[in-house]
Amino acid sequence: MRALRADLGQNHPIAAICAVDVWGYLAWQDIRLRYRRSTLGPFWITLSMAIFCLSLGYVYSRLFKQDIVEYLPFVTASFVMWGFMAGIMTEMPNLFVDSAPYIKDININPLIIVMRALARHVVTFFHNAFIIIGIYLWFGMAPTPALLMFIPGFCLTLVTMSGVAVVLSIIGARFRDISPITQSAVQVLFFITPVTWVPSMLPKHSRILSLNPFTHLLEITRAPLLGDSPAPGAWASALVICGMSVFCAAVAYRIKAQEIPFWV
Amino acid sequence: MSRVDLENVTLRYPLLGLRSRSLKHRLVRAATGGVIGEAAGVTYVEALRDITLRLRDGDRVGLIGHNGAGKSTLLKVLGKVFRPTAGTVSIEGRVMSTANMAVGMEAEATGIENITTRGLLLGMRLREIRDHIDEIAEFTELGDYLSMPLRIYSTGMLTRLAFATVTAMEADVLLMDEVIGTGDSAFMEKAEKRLKEFMNRSRILVIASHSDHVIRSLCNKAALLSHGCLLHFGDVEAVMQTYTATALARVS
Repeated sequence: MRALRADLGQNHPIAAICAVDVWGYLAWQDIRLRYRRSTLGPFWITLSMAIFCLSLGYVYSRLFKQDIVEYLPFVTASFVMWGFMAGIMTEMPNLFVDSAPYIKDININPLIIVMRALARHVVTFFHNAFIIIGIYLWFGMAPTPALLMFIPGFCLTLVTMSGVAVVLSIIGARFRDISPITQSAVQVLFFITPVTWVPSMLPKHSRILSLNPFTHLLEITRAPLLGDSPAPGAWASALVICGMSVFCAAVAYRIKAQEIPFWV
Repeated sequence: MSRVDLENVTLRYPLLGLRSRSLKHRLVRAATGGVIGEAAGVTYVEALRDITLRLRDGDRVGLIGHNGAGKSTLLKVLGKVFRPTAGTVSIEGRVMSTANMAVGMEAEATGIENITTRGLLLGMRLREIRDHIDEIAEFTELGDYLSMPLRIYSTGMLTRLAFATVTAMEADVLLMDEVIGTGDSAFMEKAEKRLKEFMNRSRILVIASHSDHVIRSLCNKAALLSHGCLLHFGDVEAVMQTYTATALARVS
């Protein structure tokens, strides 16, 4: 039987992204296997996230003296989006080390492995999105047209995080310190990014907000989820961040992707 | 037509996490393995040095040499896993390697699911896998086990599954690191026949082996590697004699 595919190891990034039958199948299998011996499967993550959001929402609404009707949907949307971004950043530095046999024994473009992991994170995200639907139902919130803006917002966030994923996975394969550093950094970022606190608590144009790329990515996805329009300038900032991320990924891929088999 | 052309291929393998080595500004020549050197603060092994090799349709090449001579590295360069540090590799035809037949196998997934994963990683399309899965499944003789998770398989059953999938493929350039096979005696004859057919379908075969018998029975050419250099390439018997002579010289 002759395979129609030229080969999985083609250097061109587009070829790797187009090999959706390979990474799609592998990601789909990853998810399916999580369901196989557990009733809830990936919904366990959703459940723990839901409990986290509810308890945090309740306590912090008191702490920050916020109305729970406002605050709980806010913190839920925030945290589901943050979970998506943080999950990608935490996994990536170890990605190639964990997939060493793929890299060392078969001719496969490393981007296919990155795409598989990203696809898995997107599916997990859609599991967690059920929490937001639950919040809508619970508080009797009606979907507004603003919600549609979530789609481009999420796409832009996904592209940005894909860039981050490529950079972190490549550097993480070369320097094993990157994984613990990333984990600590993600923890710190959680506190300095307006995930659990509302940006309006800070004075306008605070550098804490404007210099943090995650503020903007969060803004363009969370605001539509809550039926609002994003803060002015958030989209422009997010586009710049996305461009930078993709640029760094392209540079890292071009210079170092060929060396990954020597590192893992 | 298929062809393999290596021009002055050199491969330096960086040894990361060996900082202390870089203090020794000298070359170390070990009894086995490539030449260890240092460049720009990074220690490296020169796993292949200046290899020029041209293979054409019908070539059956046996790679011989002691452990660490560079046989597997050369196979990985041919299989495009490693990109050479210097020199060019140009290959026409579909390359397939039988190294590590277990890559991608999932213990919790069923036999059929694993055949699909393996097929995809070997370069098949889902449609092709669907067309051939019955043939592969039948060959394994695993029956109902194919719908059970791999976790409960014995080692022999795992090998059968991997073997059946790999040998269902068609490659122009086939790379093998030692002969693949299955240990099961009842199965062996059938497997040997399938393996022979599989190898015969390829236009160019490169096989690394420590077995004289394998090289003599399968190959029409041989290549002797030592410390990453291609010492001798040509007629099987002539290369074998050189190898035996150098091996004896090292002992005495």
